Amino acid sequence: MKFKLNLVTLALLANAGVILPNIAMAEGYGLQNANTEKVKFDKWACKRCEVETGVSGSVGVGVGYNDSNDIRSANAFAAEDEFAGKLDADVKYVSESGYQASIEADNLGMENGRLDVNAGKAGQYNLNLNYRQIATYKTDQAMSPYQGAGSDHLTLPDNWQTAGSSQDMTQLYSSLNPLELSLKRKRAGLGFEYQGEELWSTYVNYQREDKTGLKQASGSFFNQSMMLAEPVDYTTDTIEAGIKLRGDNWFTALNYSGSSFKNQYSQLTFDNAFNPTFGAQTQGTMALDPDNEAHTVSLMGQVTAGKTIMSGRVHYGQMTQDQAFVTSGYGYDMPADSLDGRVDMQGVNLKLVSRISSSVRLNASYDYSDRDNKTNVEEWTQISIDSTTGQVAYNTPYDITTQRAKLGADYRIARGMRLEAGYDYRQDERSYQDRETTDEHTLWTKFRLNSFDEWDMWIKGSYGERDGSEYQASEWTSSESNDLLRKYNLADRKRSMVEARVTHTPIDALTIDFGTRYALDDYNDTQIGLTESKDLSYDINASYLINDDMMVNAFYSRQNIESEQAGSTNFSTPNWYGVVEDQVDVIGAGFSYNNLMEKKLRLGIDYTYSDSNSNTQVTQGITGDYGDYYAKAHNVNVYGQYQATEKMALRLDYKMEKYRDNDAGNDIAPDGIWNVVGFGSNSQDYTAHLIMLSMSYKL
Amino acid sequence: MKIIKKITSLLPALMATAVLSLGFAHTAIAAKWDDKMTPDEVEATLDKKFAEGKYSPQGADSCLMCHRRSEKVMDLFKGVHGSMNSSKSPMAGLQCEACHGPMGNHNRGGNEPVIAFGPDSSLSAEKQNSVCMSCHQDDKRMSWSGGHHDNADVACASCHSIHTEKDQVLSKNTEMEVCTSCHTKQKADMNKRSSHPMKWAQMVCSDCHNPHGTMSDSDLVKPSVNETCYSCHAEKRGPKLWEHAPVTENCVTCHNPHGSVHEGMLNTRAPQLCQQCHASDGHASNAYLGNTEHGSSVGGNAFTGGRSCLNCHNQIHGSNHPSGKLFQR
Repeated sequence: MKFKLNLVTLALLANAGVILPNIAMAEGYGLQNANTEKVKFDKWACKRCEVETGVSGSVGVGVGYNDSNDIRSANAFAAEDEFAGKLDADVKYVSESGYQASIEADNLGMENGRLDVNAGKAGQYNLNLNYRQIATYKTDQAMSPYQGAGSDHLTLPDNWQTAGSSQDMTQLYSSLNPLELSLKRKRAGLGFEYQGEELWSTYVNYQREDKTGLKQASGSFFNQSMMLAEPVDYTTDTIEAGIKLRGDNWFTALNYSGSSFKNQYSQLTFDNAFNPTFGAQTQGTMALDPDNEAHTVSLMGQVTAGKTIMSGRVHYGQMTQDQAFVTSGYGYDMPADSLDGRVDMQGVNLKLVSRISSSVRLNASYDYSDRDNKTNVEEWTQISIDSTTGQVAYNTPYDITTQRAKLGADYRIARGMRLEAGYDYRQDERSYQDRETTDEHTLWTKFRLNSFDEWDMWIKGSYGERDGSEYQASEWTSSESNDLLRKYNLADRKRSMVEARVTHTPIDALTIDFGTRYALDDYNDTQIGLTESKDLSYDINASYLINDDMMVNAFYSRQNIESEQAGSTNFSTPNWYGVVEDQVDVIGAGFSYNNLMEKKLRLGIDYTYSDSNSNTQVTQGITGDYGDYYAKAHNVNVYGQYQATEKMALRLDYKMEKYRDNDAGNDIAPDGIWNVVGFGSNSQDYTAHLIMLSMSYKL
Repeated sequence: MKIIKKITSLLPALMATAVLSLGFAHTAIAAKWDDKMTPDEVEATLDKKFAEGKYSPQGADSCLMCHRRSEKVMDLFKGVHGSMNSSKSPMAGLQCEACHGPMGNHNRGGNEPVIAFGPDSSLSAEKQNSVCMSCHQDDKRMSWSGGHHDNADVACASCHSIHTEKDQVLSKNTEMEVCTSCHTKQKADMNKRSSHPMKWAQMVCSDCHNPHGTMSDSDLVKPSVNETCYSCHAEKRGPKLWEHAPVTENCVTCHNPHGSVHEGMLNTRAPQLCQQCHASDGHASNAYLGNTEHGSSVGGNAFTGGRSCLNCHNQIHGSNHPSGKLFQR
């Protein structure tokens, strides 16, 4: 057997010889282990290989009619207006000498359009251009009396009458205008990749993303608040570059990733709709997300020595932010004009996987990560917004260090029967928090059986316990906290999980799949806070190939999540209890019929229904509930595709979305809460339709 | 006609992907040798053949003598693995036998096994994958071994096909179907009241996860959960003057990125979510009962109605205002 051994591998073998007795019999059929001594390559002419050159592929256009009275349907249809047009392309060019180019366009012109253009030479270099749009829509009926939406200065009409309560604002209803809360990302990228003859390759990718739109925010004075439209006009530039080196049994890569975020607006100023209270403020200003930068360098590598694979990664990153502070309406001295904030991120990951026999494989890993916030701690005077006067506060730059170790083994008991088990350990150390250290130990196991022809099944279970150093509930809080409070991300916890799945294939054409999962988080030392959370889900899937042309599939899933918590109004042991019960049902079905009308027509339908429901109850002597909280969505897509000529195909799609949601806490008028000027009811109830006719032409 | 064929072949292909990635035996077109040999015998034969290295006299031309009539076989030349001009392509080296192993006596009636891939192969996923991994060794695949797909016996060919012009899993429109055929919980999640826009394939699984495994939790593409989130939500990166500890520590302390019954992909609604950690003297300790027979209603006060705690503590992801300690401005 012929081995091409390099220096790194040789060095490794010298040290690893004891634990790798079978090094000469390499695992698998890797090319580098191929015995090619007898091959007479001069006779390998490949005369029968038929590589098509020239241009191939297809292009298509589509026009659609969109019938909707709620912008939310654009999430599903990617169409905002009554009419929509799109361009699709999938075109490839290959020259005889190996130059190649491709253009892939998908829904270009619609709100979820994508474009990907590549040009280069196979196995040598490639130039890539890409574009992608992501749009999400919340509502176009957010009612606001403010003018200037989209800018960083929101004003009330000149004739606005402030009042102590929103119900007494006489100009409120006559000033309301609907706003669209939606966000649109437009990403354009440019990339270049070069592969050297033997060992190395390098790449650089640049991307610019512009994100624009409006999102919901709130501005407040003392205990009075107004919902506001926060302008979103972000630009994020990202560069990723790297160099990779590889040999037969080793690999290494050095990567850089840099990102620069710029917000067009640094602050949002808004008029006070209420009568001024403390500080007599008629105008407020909030700081918007500041410009920032992040840079990460990582070095990774891997060595394969026979049946053992060792991998490692070290990375170092820095996140910085130095935007000038907002000073409008802030009359105190500041220790600095900008934060000069800096967070150092460091990480080490080591992993070893070793097959110690044909039936047993071991794996072990160690991970270290550290977030070190180097920002200076300074003294900052807080504006008095309530009866307590201007206090001084110190910022708390959080550090967290996490270490994890994992050890696992998998054992093939027989063909089609496999047992896995492992132990995971995790330790977190934090600064400025109620608990300095938490430790978690988890044991898990999984058994899989697929030795019977028609059955495949597995079951997995895990149990973990978390504890840690002494819990001091009020150590860093400004106002004293209940001593019995345990924040759930720091609290002692017993976590159990069991999951199972069975797949049955009674005949080749039919598959039935059933799975279930139950998870329980028991916060065993918590009296105040989240005390328990349960999550039970199951799903069933079936697909049936009725004949060569007809296929039907169906899917159903249910999930129930229940969270229990406790509180205390008298600052001692629990005297009120809350429970949140979530239930989700999802039903899906699809049918397709191919090769109709002399194999020219294909018909199909896809349907999904989802019902998300939540019920919140709080008990203190008497029990109250939070009313209806649901979202129900029906989605239908019916399509037919007809091959009109050898080159041209026509496709007709009909899409329907019937959507209804409610949130009793928000199903209220703009003045429904005396100390809030709201956006009005945000419940939605609509049925929307989209018909799209498209034509594709084969080149 | 070819277009129709291609489209009609897509659904069954996806089905097959779903089926085989669930790992049950699919006996439709088993290889000739599988009728006469046990999987162990097949594997032992392949090991022996691989060690002996009896490659064909004329490379691909030897193979295509019989196999050129298969459209599927010839479709290899439409993709990169059939490229004749690339020094990295199998066609520049051992050609068909680079992946399928030395021909040996396979040409005498096709009874002797060669390395076969996909749903009908009786060869273990690990052995199948050793072929692919010998070339596809880079930073995007270095954590395959011992990763969760490897442990679940997923073969490269469970998701990928190379005897084709277009590998379906590489298309964003079909990626979700391939992933959710096994990951059914995530399929349900993306249909919940709030989720990332995966239901409409605006986002896909591989935007955040690398199915080939990474050195991070849940095979995330960045070193940590937060850094993965920041790659799209850079505005939350800061560092800001006033940090909210769980926000800087881990986004999933409060959010479920796959979807939630609650708005904003929150694990629970406000004020309950906030009160699971905040019980200071004053309004954070109060019981907010919502609708009761005594006249209170959930939409009637600012603690439960509107944006609840966020009516005032709007800057919950941290504030860079000098007076932003309580996340109000």
